[in-house]
Amino acid sequence: MSKNRAAIILFFSLTIGIPPSFSQTGSSDWDLLRKIVMIPGISSQEVKVMDWIAGNCPHGMNVQRDVKNDVWFTVGTGKPHILFVAHADELGMTVEKITAQGTAVLKGRGGFLAQACEARPFVIHTAQGTVDGIMLPRPDFDARQAQPYSLEPYELYLGANSEQEARALGVAEGNPVIFKKKIVDLSPDILATRAVDDRAGCAALLAAALEIDWTKIKGKTVTCAWSVEEEIGLYGAAAIAKVLKPDYVFAIDTFVATDSPLENKRFGYAQLGQGAVLRVFDSSNLTPKPEIRRAAALAEKRGIPVQVRNSRGGNDGSVFVAGGAVDIPLSWPGAHAHSFIEKIDRHDLEALTRLLKAIIEEWK
Amino acid sequence: MKRTFLYVALGAILIVLRGAPSADPIDVKDVLKEIYAIPAATGNEEQLTAKIIALLPKGLAVEKDNLGSLFGRLGQGEAGLTVVAGLDEFGYAVSNVLVDGYLQLDRLGQPPLGIYDSFLIGHPVVVSTKAGLRNGIVVQPAMHVLTQELRDKLSRNLTLDLVYVDVGAHSEAEARAKGIEILDPVTLSQDMATLANGRLAGPAIGQKAACAALTALADSLFGSKVPQTVSVAWMAQSRMSARGARASLGAIRAKNRFNPKATVVLGAVSADRGEKSPVFGKGPVILQAKDSPSPLRDAIDAAAKEKNIALQYQSGIESPLLAPFLGEGADAVILALPVKFFGTPSEVVETKDIQSLVDIVSAVCSRRGK
Repeated sequence: MSKNRAAIILFFSLTIGIPPSFSQTGSSDWDLLRKIVMIPGISSQEVKVMDWIAGNCPHGMNVQRDVKNDVWFTVGTGKPHILFVAHADELGMTVEKITAQGTAVLKGRGGFLAQACEARPFVIHTAQGTVDGIMLPRPDFDARQAQPYSLEPYELYLGANSEQEARALGVAEGNPVIFKKKIVDLSPDILATRAVDDRAGCAALLAAALEIDWTKIKGKTVTCAWSVEEEIGLYGAAAIAKVLKPDYVFAIDTFVATDSPLENKRFGYAQLGQGAVLRVFDSSNLTPKPEIRRAAALAEKRGIPVQVRNSRGGNDGSVFVAGGAVDIPLSWPGAHAHSFIEKIDRHDLEALTRLLKAIIEEWK
Repeated sequence: MKRTFLYVALGAILIVLRGAPSADPIDVKDVLKEIYAIPAATGNEEQLTAKIIALLPKGLAVEKDNLGSLFGRLGQGEAGLTVVAGLDEFGYAVSNVLVDGYLQLDRLGQPPLGIYDSFLIGHPVVVSTKAGLRNGIVVQPAMHVLTQELRDKLSRNLTLDLVYVDVGAHSEAEARAKGIEILDPVTLSQDMATLANGRLAGPAIGQKAACAALTALADSLFGSKVPQTVSVAWMAQSRMSARGARASLGAIRAKNRFNPKATVVLGAVSADRGEKSPVFGKGPVILQAKDSPSPLRDAIDAAAKEKNIALQYQSGIESPLLAPFLGEGADAVILALPVKFFGTPSEVVETKDIQSLVDIVSAVCSRRGK
């Protein structure tokens, strides 16, 4: 492309206010995931991550935010109203009290395998910054016949010698606590870390929203939403469901995949690297089969690899069903769900983003 | 004239290579940061020794023995103190590559704790291959589909039979294409946490800190005028009943060069584990085999007083690290860092204690010379 031609296109793009395209932002869903997954946001304390999402929505959108911190924008008018929702909260704990010895006793168990927490580093997010702490090992950790690790105490050693020292670090009751995250790259296309559930869904929805040419969306209403408090009871989505009544809701969340040697393949067996997942039923929802066929046909038409599977766990879309919506959960195969090494394959995330884009553009 | 010029030139080159001797000694914390993330499972210490050699003064001649231990001499005059530290940490070896690309493991020696295998579940590991380091994760079932039976097995009776390492391969061929071979060492991912009061936490950080202290000590002694010949040795396979130590001793004795009469082993000891245990935060610990008179212990005591460093004492220690240096007429002690949560993936050390090891032994070298 000549410089002159590029300049003309850029001029018209700016003049008519076209939102920046996927390629213009330079961010892929994979890049977005790597950024958003590191932002802390335990359930009910999601401000930072929701700020980030709101700040990265396509330019020119009327981004809404409710009192719970749910974020969404809506484009178009008319029927059907299709709504996409991905939850941005992550599992975590809070500081319940600080002991005289300077340790922090935690509230909540985070939903993790307790054993995986023992003697591992966690991070307290304080008003003054982050403070590292070590989850205390079992009391007799060095005994020849040590007792099994139990949930008590769930207590962090901070290196402080007293309550006063701990408080001087900024640690206070109510501070959120998350596992000390790092991204483990198993290959250029596979990563594992904490909070891929559901930051991958957030990234895919954001990437699709950034890529869509919204000026071409006619004759329907499309809402892209990012919810809070999914992990503790779908409360964020429930708040959105009070004000928005979509005809179709596409909840974007982890497909709890049993793609590992320790798991039974009777259900949940979506293989990593084999595409996005249409989650036909889980613990909270049963999608009508004709709708699954429609979505699968759309994917096939666009050459998007999808797997149709059932698993466990709930999804945000289920709270919209009472308002008349059909809930069609969309996923990627996520191995080791609710661990510190949630694993995802880039090809699956890309397939999911393409599927979202296809539905936004073609669902009727 | 020509010869004088040659000596001057060689001296200048040495100074350039080395930097200004003792004017800018390397910080032991920096050494620890440099070496900490380098895996060194027992029998697989090559990368760590290479790094240590790179950190040592260029003019310091070091040699390796057949097992990979490093040995060097500093100072001048009569043979004096020997200072040693282990190189290796506990690790595993790839014992099988499954058809679906997962790895199974076996232990390289005895783990530091009986429950050590249970720390693997759901966490990153590093596989050291001929092609470089490869990330892995130890498989954990999704919480949503975890049966009570499997939960109990993982929490109460975990064995290596339940440990599978995922390296992002879908087949054995893919795993092997990453350079992974049977017997490649596997260690916990070495991630360091920084705690309050200058405390650091991470897997095997006690051992690595002792190793860093010896490296910093060698650096500081190289630039100073030590009035005795100090031998320094970094022992390979120290966790295999001190095979590295014996080998160092044997090899050097055979050459009639290394017959230590006074040895300080820099190491780590579990702290805060009951009344008889050393107390974390109360200074380094002198560990002796017997509570008997020891000129070496006296020298360390005096050096610590001179440096205003508190010491703790423990005797009756049967350590495989100490035994090879306790021959007839020989005096040996372990000067250890107190380590909180010893043997767990989050061992905690005090940075000031690491510096104390360097300062104390450095002062002993000077005092003994006097």
